[in-house]
Amino acid sequence: MKNVRVWFKKDFECRYISHLDLNRCMLRAVHKSKIPVWHTEGFNPHPFITFALPLSLGFRGERETMDMRLTEDFDFEEIVKRLNTCLPNGIRVFDVTEPVLKPGKIAFALFDIKLTSDSISPANLCSELNVLFSKEEILIDKKTKSGIKEINIKPYLSDYSLSANDEYVHLSIKLPAGSQENVNPTLIINAAEKYLDKEIYSDITRLDILTEEETPFE
Amino acid sequence: MVTKEVEKLLLKVQKPGRYTGGELNQVVKDKEKVDVRFAFCFPDTYEVGMSHLGMKILYSQFNSVEHIWCERVFAPWLDMEELMIKNNIPLYALESGDPISDFDFIGFTLQYELSFTNVLNMLKLGNIPIYSKDRTELKQIVVAGGPCACNGEPIADFIDLFFIGEGEEVDLEVIELFRKCRSENKSKQEFLQLAAQIKGVYVPSLYDVEYNEDGTIKAVTPKNGAPAKIEKRLIMDMDNVYYPDNFVVPMVEIVHDRAVQEIFRGCIRGCRFCQAGFIYRPVREKSIDAIDRQCRALCENTGYDEVSLSSLSSSDYSKAVELLSRLNEWSNDEKVSISLPSLRVDGFTDDIMSKIKTVRKSGLTFAPEAGSQRLRDVINKNVKEDELLNTCHVAFNGGWNKVKLYFMIGLPTETMDDVVAIPKLGMSVVGEYHKCENRPKNKGVTVTVSTSSFVPKPFTPFQWEPQDTKAQLIEKQNKIKETINTRKITYNYHDADTSFLEAVFARGDRRLCKAMAKASEKGFHFDGWSDCFSLEKWMDIFKECGIDPTFYANRRREFDEILPWDHIDYGVSKEFLIKECKKAYANATTEHCRQKCNNCGAAKYKGGVCFEKRQSMV
Repeated sequence: MKNVRVWFKKDFECRYISHLDLNRCMLRAVHKSKIPVWHTEGFNPHPFITFALPLSLGFRGERETMDMRLTEDFDFEEIVKRLNTCLPNGIRVFDVTEPVLKPGKIAFALFDIKLTSDSISPANLCSELNVLFSKEEILIDKKTKSGIKEINIKPYLSDYSLSANDEYVHLSIKLPAGSQENVNPTLIINAAEKYLDKEIYSDITRLDILTEEETPFE
Repeated sequence: MVTKEVEKLLLKVQKPGRYTGGELNQVVKDKEKVDVRFAFCFPDTYEVGMSHLGMKILYSQFNSVEHIWCERVFAPWLDMEELMIKNNIPLYALESGDPISDFDFIGFTLQYELSFTNVLNMLKLGNIPIYSKDRTELKQIVVAGGPCACNGEPIADFIDLFFIGEGEEVDLEVIELFRKCRSENKSKQEFLQLAAQIKGVYVPSLYDVEYNEDGTIKAVTPKNGAPAKIEKRLIMDMDNVYYPDNFVVPMVEIVHDRAVQEIFRGCIRGCRFCQAGFIYRPVREKSIDAIDRQCRALCENTGYDEVSLSSLSSSDYSKAVELLSRLNEWSNDEKVSISLPSLRVDGFTDDIMSKIKTVRKSGLTFAPEAGSQRLRDVINKNVKEDELLNTCHVAFNGGWNKVKLYFMIGLPTETMDDVVAIPKLGMSVVGEYHKCENRPKNKGVTVTVSTSSFVPKPFTPFQWEPQDTKAQLIEKQNKIKETINTRKITYNYHDADTSFLEAVFARGDRRLCKAMAKASEKGFHFDGWSDCFSLEKWMDIFKECGIDPTFYANRRREFDEILPWDHIDYGVSKEFLIKECKKAYANATTEHCRQKCNNCGAAKYKGGVCFEKRQSMV
């Protein structure tokens, strides 16, 4: 038995499927690929796969990971090749490695966000966002399991950059991620929509997942 | 393919994965290099439509022809529809993202009468004129097939041509004719007249319908050389007919998320309420070799770990146990489970049970259809109470503890005694559980009793019967509720209002087209969904159009009345249906096709079960 970490990108049509759908999609691909993976031994045996950090519906993912367990030695490059023939085009596996860190080590995620609005130019949107982000406190309703809770997102706006070009506002931001504390960038978009009172379209890409030391998760 | 405009909407709707395409195994061609573009429309949501086997077969078959590109189109759910209208985005096909108005053919499959409004709504969302007469050019040909095409009269004004029977051959013949007509610069009218000469094609505009003063039909007259009778098409060689070795594998969860392998068409039983049991005659089986080969290819190409063997009454496959053994030879090693979705009470044997539960176990569903033996004889559902109890006994001892029982209320000749027999049968099943020594330990039994309201359908022996009124149906539902005295039985029942509308459309005629158009104008859609359905609104429309819906739903027809679908021929003779109806009144059953030929007329197709050696003869 050997654990392997599969690295993939999630984009195009596939960014619109939920984490549960991604899970099903991967299960079918693993089954179809006939890679010798370990199956669970319950009532409904299925390949045992786990994801380090789920990606929200609608986001693109540049460096997503899934772990599985091989029952016999198998060439890593062959895994990449086989999975890619079994997956829809929007999900592309680019590497298979031996896991170095446990998923619990994940502390941050790096996002690249393009923002546009029909009612305001990118340059103006950018300056309004700059004003908003420099406020003392930015309160926003967050849906939690125990109902709606008002939280302040200002503390999370520590490491970001804002710029504008002709087409969109470019927000690059590092946010807490993982099992300890997880902040979804949608909260920031929601805050922007609320405070600027505008409909904002966002195109969010998760570029990377990082450890506490801000090194790439591997 | 998702266009930029659509992309803006996707994060604002539920389950956006339904609107993007891009699934494994979808077919993308270069539109400049194909001759004919076919938009295959399913008039319901993605999850429902993607579960439909007929669409998978025809999608793959059309695309196996180099010069045809067939794409999928589904009805957008309410939230998406609203946004598409607001943002001026026309209904598009999933593969290319192109609006359906760009297509040569817009084809609908008609699985359910209550999806008729979705057909019109989808045309509307695609900016295509709904009336056939308003589409004058040789493009955007609107075609429809499927079981409800057997009486397409309520939508006859909107559909250019119907495919009657099985589509694999006739669809391609019509597409070829279209290519030829286009290259010869023929008009749409010329194309339709030529198409009407193809067996299995019904062009409603080539038939004039006259009515008597009492509202019944006086005559249906063909014109411009259209045939007086339109004969259904069917495939006799099931082993060599096209079957896909590949399905588009959806990324979002759909209703039936598994591979589907057809094992035969038709049904030997002849239950008198069941339209499928008559219009798909005769029974034609695939060989074990073909099923085994196709099934395996499907699982390998899709990655599904579950395959369901599809047919009506699947345990009637003549070599069911042998088939399952053959499939089990590889399915266990490949961790694929086999399911038989349509099991009869008398078909559930130890042998079959052991072969389908090898990998996983699901609930059991049986359909006795009627509570009393007398009424089961009337409908020719030849299942006895002790057979049901024995079967449940076997299942309970085998570890099952959930059984669903399906019944119909409002069947012809039904009395309150028959109605009360429904919950009583459910209670007998509960009693049987407690008699089982090997029943699951520390687990109670759950019996779900569901009743739907009987809807008389064309081409069945009950096509002349009135449907129960809403008041009668509700009285029967209440009687069942009162009679159940245990919490081990859950009672579900189907809403009587939708069944009423279904009954109106099922046996409707062309005068209903007016109501359909009005409904479309008012934005009706998803009538089959409780989110949208309103009988009240429909009654307003009927009133506005001067239509009495009870004329269609609740009226008893005479045997000599000309029915709106009499010019369509499904191979089963009217004489046979009349004979069966009279036998029903006499509580007399009819043997199934493997026991005895009852001369229904389907033997004229010269194949299938009609020419099998019967066991009694061997």
